[in-house]
Amino acid sequence: MNTITSIGTAPLIELRRATKHYQIGENPVIALKGIDLIIQTREFVAIWGPSGSGKSTLCNLIGMLDSPTTGSVLIDGQEVNDLSDNARSELRNRMIGFVFQNFNLVPVLSALENVMLPLQIAGASSSVARQRALERLAEVGLEKHVAHRPAKLSGGQQQRVAIARALVTDPALVIADEPTANLDSGNARRIIELMLNINASHGTAFVFSTHDQRLLESVKRRVLMQDGEIGSDSQPERPAAQTRIAGSRP
Amino acid sequence: MITWFKLATRNLFRNGRRSLFTVMAIGLGFAAVNALGGFTAYIFTSLEDSYIHIQGNGHMSIFKKGFLEEGKLDPTRYLLNEEDVRVIDEVLQAHPEIRISTPELNISGLVSNGEVSTIFLASGRVASKVDVIRSHSRTKVGNMRLFDGDPMTDDKPNGLGMSQGLADQLRFKQGDTVVVMAPTVSGQINALDGQMLQTFSSPVEALEDKLMLVSLEFAQNLYDTTSVDRINVLLNDGLLTQPMRATLQSELAAHGLDVEIKTWNELSTFYTKVKNMFDVIFLFAFLIVFTIVVMSVVNTVGMAIMERTREIGTLRALGVKRRGIVGLFALESMLLGLIGSLVGVLLTLAVWSSIATFEPTWIPPQITRRIPLEVYLVPKEMLWSLLALMVLSLLAASLPARKAARMEIVGALGHV
Repeated sequence: MNTITSIGTAPLIELRRATKHYQIGENPVIALKGIDLIIQTREFVAIWGPSGSGKSTLCNLIGMLDSPTTGSVLIDGQEVNDLSDNARSELRNRMIGFVFQNFNLVPVLSALENVMLPLQIAGASSSVARQRALERLAEVGLEKHVAHRPAKLSGGQQQRVAIARALVTDPALVIADEPTANLDSGNARRIIELMLNINASHGTAFVFSTHDQRLLESVKRRVLMQDGEIGSDSQPERPAAQTRIAGSRP
Repeated sequence: MITWFKLATRNLFRNGRRSLFTVMAIGLGFAAVNALGGFTAYIFTSLEDSYIHIQGNGHMSIFKKGFLEEGKLDPTRYLLNEEDVRVIDEVLQAHPEIRISTPELNISGLVSNGEVSTIFLASGRVASKVDVIRSHSRTKVGNMRLFDGDPMTDDKPNGLGMSQGLADQLRFKQGDTVVVMAPTVSGQINALDGQMLQTFSSPVEALEDKLMLVSLEFAQNLYDTTSVDRINVLLNDGLLTQPMRATLQSELAAHGLDVEIKTWNELSTFYTKVKNMFDVIFLFAFLIVFTIVVMSVVNTVGMAIMERTREIGTLRALGVKRRGIVGLFALESMLLGLIGSLVGVLLTLAVWSSIATFEPTWIPPQITRRIPLEVYLVPKEMLWSLLALMVLSLLAASLPARKAARMEIVGALGHV
């Protein structure tokens, strides 16, 4: 059993003895074995480890995309296991942004409309949603591509749209599932730098699963998953916001 | 809302061919139901108009109570005498809703050409009043001349018309003298000479060799009576039939008359049978369309859900509630229903305008002449069809949409 506590005051995320069991055919699979984890606001946390170690399952529990079999998940001090599906949806919309490995943009919507979507789900007016989405797209350097649909954008551009979408509601936490896995090295570098800058400038916490060594080198906190357990939690010497990525612009 | 509408609309074009097939299935179904509905409305209207106006029966008929059950066996007991007719006329004339009323006496007997005799059934009527009733026909058939020869007129009380089959059987032609025999109301045999004016087609094929038209005066002379068996009443508005029946019934009873009033649809059993038959046909057609629409929409939405499983997971991750997913697919299927119905409206209009342009004719059952074939536009039915198909599309999509909404988010996001 691993207990890892970050330095900070109010925990943004807290997992208490969280387990996750699956049934694949007739075979039970234990994906997580009693995880205790605390993530504070403004943290930049990488969850890494071999395939099947439980990285994605852990991210899913943190993001309320899934529920633990036993144990509990607290977000901002609130136990979320017992919340209704509607309440979890509202909390997810308000507090958590998601960046997916395959970008997961809605293909029939433009970049702008994709970024507006979380705000409109929350019930914001079109004009407010539009204004904030434009600001976020400008922040990720896509102000000239607002009208483009995902199919007309490169992989890197699509991931930047996804990051803008994840940030548009000003969430406390962004969860990214292998965000650079489908990108070439140049785009991957730009995405890592963008996330670091946002973390530094907005104070948005980032939790992401990754195999990308460049990304691991640039984070303040790394959580190693092994066989459904936390193997280690290491923190590089330099703070994340000051980390320079090899080849990136100064 | 605008976002979801936009999203739903664009999603319809993601697999354009599939959506097109679904829209066409709904559109063709809509057109089939409404073209059949329009044809049915034409048939019903024609039958109604035929009985009320063309045959000159009016919207309702007043009989002495019991005439319809016992009148054939004991006609004198159930006839309306002159005093009855006078009182009835007085009551009727007090109602401006009544356009015209006319007495009628139906007779039967033998008709002979001097060599051969055969039985006949005849209506004795006042030609000028029947002409007034006919002149209010609302159908194209009402403007057609449905007899060969000269019209029946009041100034030819001995003039008579004969169904073509009867005329052929007795080898009568226009202008011939016809000997008509029947027992009087007192039971004695009476015979009158009539002059053949016209031949016509019987509205009932079984009576094609038996029907005749005579003047009321001729019928009364033959039966040696001044009575009639009914008073036919034409109203200004057919919708007033039921309330007027009730009003007249009570007023006539208040005048001491023991009469009963039957409406046109109670007397026209043919209309009722045909209507029932077409109602069943229409029900079958609607069930077929219902099945096609439901299957098409279920298939389209089911395929869309399968193809967009990951997108459903993404939307759920972004905070869309389960009912939001159901709403999105419901909106898409309602749009399919709406667009399909609008296509159906265009197809129905195309059918209607083609028929109006080319004016085809046909020979319906129990009529020996070609008459115009029509398909009516029934906006009320079209509106109901539109609403029904939209609701049907919505319901058809609800099951797969609910299934989609209940998918595990993680499973949906990992769907390949």
